[in-house]
Amino acid sequence: MEMVTVNSPHLRRPNARVTRMMRDVSIALLPLVIFAIYQHGLSAFWILFASVASMLGTEYIYYQIKDLLDGDQFKWNNKSFTIYNFTVITSGLIYGLTLPEQVPLMVVIIGGVVGVFLAKLIFGGMGQNIFNIAAFARVFVVLSFGSALVYGEFIDTQAGATALGVLNQTPFAEGVTDSYSYWQMFSGIGLPGSLGETSALLILVGGLYLGLRRSFDVFVPLVYIATVGLLSLGVMWQQDLGLWYPMTHLLSGGLLFGAIYMATDPVTIPVTRPGRVYFAFGLGVITFVIRLFGQLPEGVVFAILIMNMFVPAIDYPKWAKSKFSLRSGLVFAGVIVLSLIMVIVGANYVG
Amino acid sequence: MISKARKISNYRELKKELPSKRYVDPEFVYLSLTTNRCGDYHLDVEENDYVKFGQVIGERSGGFFKQPIYSTCSGHVEKVVEKYDGTGFKGKFLTIRNDFKDLPCETVQDRPDSVIDKFTQKDYVEIVKDRGIVGLGGSGFPSYVKLQTEEKIKHVVINAVECEPYLSSDYRLIKDHPEKVLDGLKYIMKAVGAETGVIAIKKDKKILIEVLEREIKRYKDLDIRIAKLANYYPQGWEIETFKNALGIKVPVGELPMKYGILGFNVSTTASIFNAVKHNYPITKRHMTINGDAIKFPQSIRVRVGTSVKDLIKLCDGFVDDVEKIDLVSGGPMMGTSVPTEDIVITPTTTSILAFKHIEHKEEPCVRCGSCVYSCPVEIQPVQIMNAVKRNDKAALEKLEAKKCIECGLCAYVCTSKIHVTDYVRKGKQMIG
Repeated sequence: MEMVTVNSPHLRRPNARVTRMMRDVSIALLPLVIFAIYQHGLSAFWILFASVASMLGTEYIYYQIKDLLDGDQFKWNNKSFTIYNFTVITSGLIYGLTLPEQVPLMVVIIGGVVGVFLAKLIFGGMGQNIFNIAAFARVFVVLSFGSALVYGEFIDTQAGATALGVLNQTPFAEGVTDSYSYWQMFSGIGLPGSLGETSALLILVGGLYLGLRRSFDVFVPLVYIATVGLLSLGVMWQQDLGLWYPMTHLLSGGLLFGAIYMATDPVTIPVTRPGRVYFAFGLGVITFVIRLFGQLPEGVVFAILIMNMFVPAIDYPKWAKSKFSLRSGLVFAGVIVLSLIMVIVGANYVG
Repeated sequence: MISKARKISNYRELKKELPSKRYVDPEFVYLSLTTNRCGDYHLDVEENDYVKFGQVIGERSGGFFKQPIYSTCSGHVEKVVEKYDGTGFKGKFLTIRNDFKDLPCETVQDRPDSVIDKFTQKDYVEIVKDRGIVGLGGSGFPSYVKLQTEEKIKHVVINAVECEPYLSSDYRLIKDHPEKVLDGLKYIMKAVGAETGVIAIKKDKKILIEVLEREIKRYKDLDIRIAKLANYYPQGWEIETFKNALGIKVPVGELPMKYGILGFNVSTTASIFNAVKHNYPITKRHMTINGDAIKFPQSIRVRVGTSVKDLIKLCDGFVDDVEKIDLVSGGPMMGTSVPTEDIVITPTTTSILAFKHIEHKEEPCVRCGSCVYSCPVEIQPVQIMNAVKRNDKAALEKLEAKKCIECGLCAYVCTSKIHVTDYVRKGKQMIG
């Protein structure tokens, strides 16, 4: 028996572990993985396998080389390699689930390798990355291999789920809801789109699980989705459209998936609660602006990468506060109104 | 887990309902001569002298104040030895061989109520100063300084929250001697002329609330009420207690006296009662031996000056299957590790906890924000940690690292098991 001296506190929260948090995200993704394989068959399995394996492999090789350069002995069991805490597996699964089924495996692998290397490893590994790894890999694939991303019945050379594709071509035409019922859009059965983004139901189930386990910050997806909902309601009101318009925005495309699994990656979001609310609001505005005015039908991953860049600014010590104050609340309310006006006025010039 | 910490999980519930073990007659009593506040002392007694219970044997002096040293038992004086006290400070202690007679000194005499009724603030301050009463919650701050305030005091708050897990000393004191606490409160209220007395207590301590409510009925002439507070940590932090019990927000770093509030710990209140009524110095206190490395945790009524070694023996010692023990004096969240079990109970030792030492694997920070959510003073521990790593003093000023009260919640909640509190402490020193 030996006495040790430790600085206070002498207790640690039992459930607070990185492994638990990241494993929960993987578990929450499992229904989506099963659904993707059920709907798309073996090709979905191979895409997911390739995305996870490419990211895992890259990280493993990177750390082996790094350790050798540091002058360590070669060991199969690498000490810096973080497979046990599920971070790479989670990134790989999320990345794979954002891809459509006909992507060549080569493209998946290149995206995975480049994504994990450029977005994570050269920044210093886990906890140091500025950009969301999955979003980065996905955008890299979109920009480099746009023609490889083909969605089911719709031949669309751009990224994005397809109800939104229609909406992008003809902004306010009520054509989308003719081909798909709300139930289909909600459950994702038979809906063309990326592997994991089609089933709103399963995504919400995963989100519920993460929320109950407190493995993500529930404010981020809530504010994000609410912002998109609010802006689309504004446009609906101004253009005199039916309720199908906001529903299409909320249920289709990568919004739910991105909001619950990608925008909540704690490493790439601000640390304070107000900061996270501003961040999620920014995501909502950028997503909607890209969807409405942009060339691309889909804006979630771009919005995430853009807002990732603003995280240091939001967290800047001079103004980052851990509680809302009256003043910041008023300014924020003003910004919400301004964005709403911008979108409503701008909707006149679309199409 | 990304969430605010409310309650600290209590791994091992102590049976607070069990009666306190009395262990008041050790063979040797060690009287603290130097503390971390007072480095000098002089003794009025020599070896083999006979001292009586409550006798002044010397005086310790620090930077700007002096404290009389009292004997807490009767017996023969032996050597001055070096031992650790509860703050982890290695100080000098005078050994006294107990003769188990508790022969009281002449000064230890009860005061009749008719005398006490005529006391003014000055008299109370004089007694409390003379009897060396200090804050028994752990601070050791001399109580007379609080009592001699010239501000207009409206509320006296008795802090019975005891928000850290594992502790039971305040609980046992109120359960066994509620009348001492209330009488002490009465004296304090009279001394400073306060209008209301508030006993702040957690609302889940139903038995204590029942006990106090009955007892309060005997004090009809005073406006005393019980504030039932929610059960979370750090509810017992003075400013948090005042905010929830009175609705008055005292800014961090300002004295509560300026806002008409005076706060005392339960044990301090009881010792003020003992000093005023019986003219006792602090001779005994309730304390707890607890933790997952102790075989039989219990609450103990103990004489000041007892060696902790004896007390651990009284609790059947440490559990067998343990290699490393983290012995803590004070609560598990804010207490200090002591390097050996050869320590002596001083008036401010509220508890001795022994934990099985767990080596936590530290992972890189994932910026989950739990520390920011949990921080009671609303600063951002993770940002302070990064600023400390960058050696960025300007950022530390902006992040108000000075506000930190070292409650330990940031390290407690950390998803990556990083010792965030240590970094914040370092940050405080950097801009200190």
